Amino acid sequence: MKTSTIAGVWAYMVVAVLTETATFYYVTNVTAQTVVISLLALSQATAVAIFYMQLKDEPGSIRIFALVGVMFLSALLIAMVASLG
Amino acid sequence: MFTALYFGVVGAVLALLMRVQLSVPNNDFLEAAYYNQAVTMHGLIMIFWFLSPLGVALFNYLVPLQIGAKDLAFPRLNALTYWLFLAGGLMAVLSFFVPGGAAAAGWTSYEPLAGPVYSPGPGPTMTYLGLMLMAASVTVGSVNFIATILWLRRPGMRLSDMPMFSWFALFTVVAMLFAFPSIIAAFLLVLTDRLIGTVLYAPPSILNVPGIDPSLLWDDLFWFFGHPEVYIVLLPAFGVIADITPAFTGRPLDGRNWILISVAAIVLPISFGVWMHHMFLTGIPNVLLEVFDVSTEIVSIPFGIIVIMFILSMVHGRIQFKTPLLFIVGALVLFIIGGIMGVFLSSPVLDRVYNGSYFVVSHFHYVMVGATIFGLFAGIYYWLPKMTGRMYNESLGKVHFIISFIGFNVLYAPMMLLSDMPRRIFTYQNIGDWAQLNGIATVGAFIFAGAQIIVAYNLLHTWFRGPPSGPNPWGSQSPEWSTPATGSVPVAPVETEPAGGWIGQLPGPQSASVSGPSPVSHAMSAVSHEVHLSSRPLTLSAGVMLFLTGAALYPGGAIQLSVLTIPPGVFPLALMVLGVGVFAASIVGWAWDDIRNKFVGPAGDPGGDRWPYDEVPKMKLGMWVFLSSEIVLFGTLLGAYIFIREAALEWPSPASVHDIPLATANTLILLTSGFTMAMAVYAIRKGDQRGLLGWLVATFVLGSTFIGVKISEWLGLFSGAAPFLPSSSNPVTALAASIYYVVVGLHGAHVVAGLVVLVYLMKKTARGGFTKDDHMSIENFALYWAFVEIVWCFVFPLFYLL
Repeated sequence: MKTSTIAGVWAYMVVAVLTETATFYYVTNVTAQTVVISLLALSQATAVAIFYMQLKDEPGSIRIFALVGVMFLSALLIAMVASLG
Repeated sequence: MFTALYFGVVGAVLALLMRVQLSVPNNDFLEAAYYNQAVTMHGLIMIFWFLSPLGVALFNYLVPLQIGAKDLAFPRLNALTYWLFLAGGLMAVLSFFVPGGAAAAGWTSYEPLAGPVYSPGPGPTMTYLGLMLMAASVTVGSVNFIATILWLRRPGMRLSDMPMFSWFALFTVVAMLFAFPSIIAAFLLVLTDRLIGTVLYAPPSILNVPGIDPSLLWDDLFWFFGHPEVYIVLLPAFGVIADITPAFTGRPLDGRNWILISVAAIVLPISFGVWMHHMFLTGIPNVLLEVFDVSTEIVSIPFGIIVIMFILSMVHGRIQFKTPLLFIVGALVLFIIGGIMGVFLSSPVLDRVYNGSYFVVSHFHYVMVGATIFGLFAGIYYWLPKMTGRMYNESLGKVHFIISFIGFNVLYAPMMLLSDMPRRIFTYQNIGDWAQLNGIATVGAFIFAGAQIIVAYNLLHTWFRGPPSGPNPWGSQSPEWSTPATGSVPVAPVETEPAGGWIGQLPGPQSASVSGPSPVSHAMSAVSHEVHLSSRPLTLSAGVMLFLTGAALYPGGAIQLSVLTIPPGVFPLALMVLGVGVFAASIVGWAWDDIRNKFVGPAGDPGGDRWPYDEVPKMKLGMWVFLSSEIVLFGTLLGAYIFIREAALEWPSPASVHDIPLATANTLILLTSGFTMAMAVYAIRKGDQRGLLGWLVATFVLGSTFIGVKISEWLGLFSGAAPFLPSSSNPVTALAASIYYVVVGLHGAHVVAGLVVLVYLMKKTARGGFTKDDHMSIENFALYWAFVEIVWCFVFPLFYLL
């Protein structure tokens, strides 16, 4: 991985965090606020996973461990929230 | 295996106490409190410290032999797995002897019943802390087994060539890996309630937050683990059946691939998609009743395929009715009976009738106990000659089977008919045929328990005085029989492998070896290989156990000795201090061993069949397996938070509690530490050791700053004008503070653990311990640190902004 990529990811993370905070202060619509901040958080996590954890260079047999974890988690989250009715 | 059998005896004694109490109506043999403790601890001990570990014990012995590995991938972690398991079990058993006794809320530990309001005292806390140690042991063990099976297969052994028992071992530990984080999260919330006063499961009568029902949260978290646990317990026994049936039918297993596909379907999607059938009566929406009714019935399809294939294998073969095969037949019969009862319970309508009755007790004992224990007995008899070099007494084995089978059915069949009797009562009136059926069940319990004296005698007699078995008494083609049996002296030269290689293979299964008493303790002793014996896993586990025991007992009462009185709190505090000291010394010692390269094996890659991980280093594979478990752990906790937020009709506004600019700045500090850690990896890949040290120091400084800010933030929250504490008089604030401190605290604990590892890495770097070609620890730590960063990417917006 190039130093420019490492620095680029970091710069994105900084911008994303500042945007999250700005959204918190300046976006008054709760739904819009939630969607924007959630998408930014997901994009940050994805960037770290792909670049700093180097999933982009790993074989599918490694990526599957992350994917299966996320899959189980998603099943639990969806059903848990659904169980509230 | 012997430790698991010991816990099995403890669990069995508790079961007999319960059966004596229930043998006649209006009995006063046990008081209600003692009966509840017996029921609860019987379930916990049997599931967590007997049935599942007995299967894992067989994995430990057989998987390396079957795949041609000399040991597990991480031998010291394997030792840690055992010592954590033992420490947890001892804590659970010792909890009987503290004031108030052991946990008594049932093995399901339903909340808020198992919480500090309705189950006060140090005993339940000790039990649950022991359970956490056991869960930690399972996580470490799962990582180890998965890495071993995927990375340490001998050359030429493709995954598809693996013996069935090793396949089932792989499926079992994968299920463990993803199921246990959920129960760790569930009990973490319980234990913070019990130890530091959070109110996550506080009953509505104590903490009335509109919309919040703590019991539903517990049900979701517990049963997401609880149902896969049934298969975790069962699959090792089915692995035994799949592996050894051909030895008694004289032909290969029918439908091997169908069986493997079915097990994969059970473990990966299905077992994690049925848990809400345990919650049919909790008021969940109708659509979920329908979805989980169907998904539960679907699980019977792959199990049906597996059982049919087992039966066909026997029908098509020429059966030899030796003891192992008798136990296999017994396991299948019991599983089919229990499985059919389970189909009834998958229906929300019938579940309404049977829920909470002895019908359910009968069902899960037929499936979890009958099928499992009979299957594992088959394996123990089958591999006993391998373990000891001696043959057991066949007649005694058959007698053991017959009495066990009769006893088991006399015990549990009457419970099928007790579908109108509640399962959670300690005594009963003389209603209908309850007295007769309970009396018969109690007789069955003693028959079943008595039968186990036979196997105990047979095992010990075989071990010390059994006749030599020969190297392969069953004529099996399975690879584990191609090494000399324990206790046998190999006379054929064993093909020793070069450094780091594989177990020497004898020329064939029938190679000559003289069996009999011998100082040779293991096949592998004939092969030179590195020694991994270390006291660190033992002392580390002991340290944790001492600390947790002290924490559970704190503050306790005064202790009166003959000449002095020890004030309350002193003894538990001493235990905690001692535990921290032992733990810290173990960690430092472990790191020091590594810095000195004490346990580094011979250089060179031994090769082997690693598809699909040919290009992945062993430690990196282990780290990714561990992180996948961590994803579920943190995800479950964040899920619990989302669940609470969704349910709560009121919640404190984020800006009213937290200093958002400070939290934003601290987030930037942590994210920057991710940048410096990535640069550290970049530096050492270029061979720049000075650069590596500099970036590691920068990461350490940033990580320490993050934690420092976090501590100051917490202190501010504790001492503000309206303290943000779980003890707040405002129930909404109390609940919000509880979940905040637990999740953010666990993340902080991960950061602190990372800082400790960073100290070790910096020390090793300063000694020139990492090079361009040898720096896997750095790469692995970077993965861990990036994961910690990812978690914060979700914690920050969820807890501070939304």
